[in-house]
Amino acid sequence: MTSKKVIEIFYDVVSPYSWLAFEVMCRYRNVWNINIKFQPIFLGGIMQGSGNKSPSLVPNKFLYMSKDLTRLSDYFDVPLRSPSDPYEAMFKKGSLNAMRFVTAVQEKGKGGDQWVERVSRELWRRIWNEAKDITEPASLSEAGRKAGMSESDIKELLELSNSKEIKNKLKSSTQNALDYGAFGSPLMVCHLNGNPEIFFGSDRFELMAHCIGEKWLGPLPDKSAAKL
Amino acid sequence: MTSKKVIELFYDVVSPYSWLGFEVMCRYRNVWNIDLKLRPTFLGGIMQGSGNKPPGLVPNKFLYMTKDLTRLSEYFDVPLRSPSDPFEAMFKKGSLNAMRFVTAVQEKGKGGDEWVERVSRELWRRIWNEDKDITEPASLSEAGMKAGMSESDIKELLELSNSKEIKNKLKSSTQNALDYGAFGFPLVVCHLDGKPEIFFGSDRFELMAHCIGEKWLGPLPEKSSAKL
Repeated sequence: MTSKKVIEIFYDVVSPYSWLAFEVMCRYRNVWNINIKFQPIFLGGIMQGSGNKSPSLVPNKFLYMSKDLTRLSDYFDVPLRSPSDPYEAMFKKGSLNAMRFVTAVQEKGKGGDQWVERVSRELWRRIWNEAKDITEPASLSEAGRKAGMSESDIKELLELSNSKEIKNKLKSSTQNALDYGAFGSPLMVCHLNGNPEIFFGSDRFELMAHCIGEKWLGPLPDKSAAKL
Repeated sequence: MTSKKVIELFYDVVSPYSWLGFEVMCRYRNVWNIDLKLRPTFLGGIMQGSGNKPPGLVPNKFLYMTKDLTRLSEYFDVPLRSPSDPFEAMFKKGSLNAMRFVTAVQEKGKGGDEWVERVSRELWRRIWNEDKDITEPASLSEAGMKAGMSESDIKELLELSNSKEIKNKLKSSTQNALDYGAFGFPLVVCHLDGKPEIFFGSDRFELMAHCIGEKWLGPLPEKSSAKL
């Protein structure tokens, strides 16, 4: 049996297009011969490191994205709903605490990738469906609880989020993404015969399938696998 | 028989992703129940009017786009090859003369949309395959000749390119695109029951098909119709 192709997905929960890509990749875990590696990163660090700016800062882009995300939400069956104040959610409040928490869950949590997946999804749901905060400890705790973590696990991981080790880990993951040429999120890196093939955004899956020798079956390859 | 859905394609030959979008829409004219309207427009005016900047100005974006276009060229079967100096071609020299010429061909040419399609394609081929100039009258003449236009047609249309009427027409097409919320190209506007559904880029065809009630069959729906 051919060994699974490794696909790294670099993402930040502040990014709505990253939620689309994340759900697609989760659904394709059992469809394609792949091994998904979650790489939580800090989008603010990517913007700084690449000299890019958020697309929302160009008025016509922001207007277009609002409509685009509504259509994609329906087509991808991912419950995206714009926060009441997207600028505040994305730029003023940001995602540093949230991504440090996800990093702590990945590095130190007992639940492995299942916890990473669940807590990431709950954080996306908070900001990009329920218009809730993702910066306060109470917010992160609630996401952790919904992800199935115990109170003591959450308390411990929240503390670890502020440790030098976890802060550095988030920095180095973000740097890894920059080394792959990132200028935004999501970034997917497919490892084929040692050569990394890099795909930005949630609209390269058809091409990605072609490049990795798989078939693109749309965003809902197997309706039973979509557990949201 | 249901009436054809009108689809407007706003494009500028300086834009490589527009060539991809253009060829796909041309191929789908005989596959989908659509009436394709070509809208030659000026990308420089779109950037100015929307406050956007070309993506190539962010180093990591430029590097990514180079690789992305190579992959897409193969997958879409459109012979894109980067000019030796893309910055010079895209930003210093630009496309104003070229798009005025295409506009003249559309407004005053005898060959209808067939000439518009052919001359647009020849201009894309010049800049995005043969690394040739598209700013000089001699360059535009050569594109016109390859498109099947006579010397006298070309001479006449080159003169008309500099007329107030044609300059204004290009300006108003550009304004139309801005009114649809453009911030770049290609921009595809699908008219459904009186409502315009807007798609930016060459990576929304699967979604577009879903929105207009058609089926996406990939970039080569019918290999026999790909005449390049």
